[in-house]
Amino acid sequence: MLLMTGIDKRFGGVHALDHVNFAVRPGKVMCLAGENGCGKSTLVKIISGVYTRDEGEILFEGQPIHRITPADATRLGIQVIYQDLSIFPNLTVMENLAINSEITANRRIVNRKRWEQTAREALSKIGYEIDLYAKMGDLSVADKQLVAICRALLFNAKLIIMDEPTTALTKKEVDALFKTVRQLRDSGIAIMFISHKMEEIFEISDDVCIMRNGKNVYSGPTSELTKKDFTYYMTGRELVDNYFVPTNISKEPVLKVEHLTWKEKYHDVSFDLRKGEILGITGLLGSGRTELALSLFGLGKVDSGTILMNGKPVKITSPIAAQKLRIGYVPEDRLTEGLCLQQPIADNIMLASLKQLTRTLGTIRHDEVFEKSNEWVKTFSIATDDAHKHASTLSGGNQQKIVLAKWLNNDLDVLILNGPTVGVDIGAKQDIHALVHDLANNGLAVIIISDDLAEVVVNCSRVVVMKDGAIVGEMTGDEITEENILEVIR
Amino acid sequence: MKRKNLEKNSYTYMLLGLMAVTLLFFTILKGNLMWKGDVWLGMAMQFPEYGVITLGLMFCFICGKMDMSFMALGDFATIMAVRYMSAHADGASQVGVILVGILIALCIATVGGVINGLLVAGLDIPPVMATISMQLVWTGLSVALTNGNSVKGLPALYTEIGHKYLFGFLPVPLLIFLVVFLVCMFLLQHTVYGEKLYMVGTNIKAAQFSAVNTRRMVIGTYVLCDVICCIGCLIMISTMAGAKADYGTSYVMRCILILVLAGVLPNGGMGKIGNVLIAIVTIQIIATGVNMFSNLNTYYASLIWGALLLIVLIMSTRMGSGGFPFRLRAAKQGSGKA
Repeated sequence: MLLMTGIDKRFGGVHALDHVNFAVRPGKVMCLAGENGCGKSTLVKIISGVYTRDEGEILFEGQPIHRITPADATRLGIQVIYQDLSIFPNLTVMENLAINSEITANRRIVNRKRWEQTAREALSKIGYEIDLYAKMGDLSVADKQLVAICRALLFNAKLIIMDEPTTALTKKEVDALFKTVRQLRDSGIAIMFISHKMEEIFEISDDVCIMRNGKNVYSGPTSELTKKDFTYYMTGRELVDNYFVPTNISKEPVLKVEHLTWKEKYHDVSFDLRKGEILGITGLLGSGRTELALSLFGLGKVDSGTILMNGKPVKITSPIAAQKLRIGYVPEDRLTEGLCLQQPIADNIMLASLKQLTRTLGTIRHDEVFEKSNEWVKTFSIATDDAHKHASTLSGGNQQKIVLAKWLNNDLDVLILNGPTVGVDIGAKQDIHALVHDLANNGLAVIIISDDLAEVVVNCSRVVVMKDGAIVGEMTGDEITEENILEVIR
Repeated sequence: MKRKNLEKNSYTYMLLGLMAVTLLFFTILKGNLMWKGDVWLGMAMQFPEYGVITLGLMFCFICGKMDMSFMALGDFATIMAVRYMSAHADGASQVGVILVGILIALCIATVGGVINGLLVAGLDIPPVMATISMQLVWTGLSVALTNGNSVKGLPALYTEIGHKYLFGFLPVPLLIFLVVFLVCMFLLQHTVYGEKLYMVGTNIKAAQFSAVNTRRMVIGTYVLCDVICCIGCLIMISTMAGAKADYGTSYVMRCILILVLAGVLPNGGMGKIGNVLIAIVTIQIIATGVNMFSNLNTYYASLIWGALLLIVLIMSTRMGSGGFPFRLRAAKQGSGKA
């Protein structure tokens, strides 16, 4: 259906795409896989007409395409569902579905009945039901995605490109999405699915195309690929799961939480945490896992219960108080909570520990900020040539390393990591995991909050499972398996 | 200092170019008249008052907040100061009275700043709404106290300050401006406060998650802003020889204009103090230049200012990242992926 040969694209000195070939077959799901920054997005933007290619040929349904604009792409039946979904959050589902066809039909007068009809027709295509009058912004990411798919179908889409659609979804929502994708595939629509999550790719795709550094290193049927090959193609190196082996667990717990309750979010949570241990807290979205962490970091409420640090009861009323108690927190949403994107990498790394560099009269020397942060750039091998560059110039994995460095530059007893590898590619993920293992074995108490079960299983020496604001299970050592966790989580 | 290397200097060059163009424009039209010493001394007497006020507002902008109340607050503070000074003007020690008067004004400005800060950081009221309300409160108080008349009777020594030349060539207001400018530059570039200010302005939530006391930062910034603005108003009453509820209300828009021109957007986290200085001088050159046409209404100056601002905004949107410290289009916070 779509055949691309020898696509080449340069941005200045950067060779973003190096003679890439790939093909999408009708009625098949094609996965485009690769780590962040490998050129996936650039390729998609060439197909959708946002960028123009320097070299190469594109055939769509046998017809060569020379120049392509976003409008052309829509007319040809190519629809891209971007990560940010391009919806109108303040309008209703119905309006979001109907608005494009109203505009293309050049109508000027609103007819609610017709709108409703268009919207219903769109929803019926995938047999999806939702309140037409719900505000788009109030929907979950998963619902937004399905609405976006419905809207794409209204344009008689022949090829739907989904740009990392599962990033913000829970396991259940992913399953629902995959059901829809299969349904579309069976109706003859070609799907191009962009992802870097191995499990998903093996589950959903018929063909796979793996890119690395702007080249496609593998393309062919998914069934001919083993997981090990896949990882190798993605990262260019052999990776093995390094299970965490605690070597240095302290006798006394450093942090002890007793009957902690935040009325609206979670209730009666008790656990303890020793130095040298990695405690996993897992649960579905809305199980109270994030809120619990916020309470420990002074940004959430505590209605009753006690927190003990080194045996002494403490009140954590703000992040400043948490920092004094040597608790650090790497937040869930790196972009809004973790980083000042439009500021230098160096300043971001030092933000939580400027006290160390403060001189008389509250003065500070910027070259010291730079030097100190450069040490972290080296230790964590953050991929930048100049720490004066903005944090926004880095990929997800490297950005996460900045947030980690920011807290590790403080002397910590407890480090809470919330979704430490969300949106991070496999290579960087392994780096971060190895780093956390080292930290724990050097005497840090670590909490990992995650709904990525594989991550929890590999990294944690003990796991607490939360559901509806309460702890429903705790396991240690060999009991920690994905199956055991799934059993209590649902 | 390193921040300088990072934020590209080409925006500074563009502003300097803009200043050169305006100078050239008026030189062509008015010839040597533009280059008389008197003209430049006149400018040096005029811009310090709103220059200082602009520097104050700059802190608010870098912090990502807005203040609409600074002029109303400054007017109220100076009215109180003038009332005190005029009541004690015939006393023995003029210097003492003046110092107490200044202290009164600065204290009121501090209180006003704290109120602004508490409304914004404590009660989470959107900054524009909170400070517009406070603007109305201060103006209302001023008018109630003075019936809208100007308050006069400043000690002679105080009014002299505004017109005095130090060593025969350095206007005292300019001297005050330079001192304030250097202090601001020091605060922004060499203190932990300045370092945090840019970070808070860029992403206040991330700063909060990094154990920065954001509430204290915001309140402190409002106090700093309003106190510096009040210093500007204290210069103003000296040249005007009195205080009035609506003196300087036109400065509100002028200060915002200068800051945006200088690339200090109220979105926060960006802008350099050097560019603010260039923008202040450019605006003054235009005002003085327009004034030289005796048959031209002085409001033409604001027409040119507006046009200038539009040109700068259009250029910075059209040219994208080409060295500008800010981009209005494509302001989407990308995830940094290639």
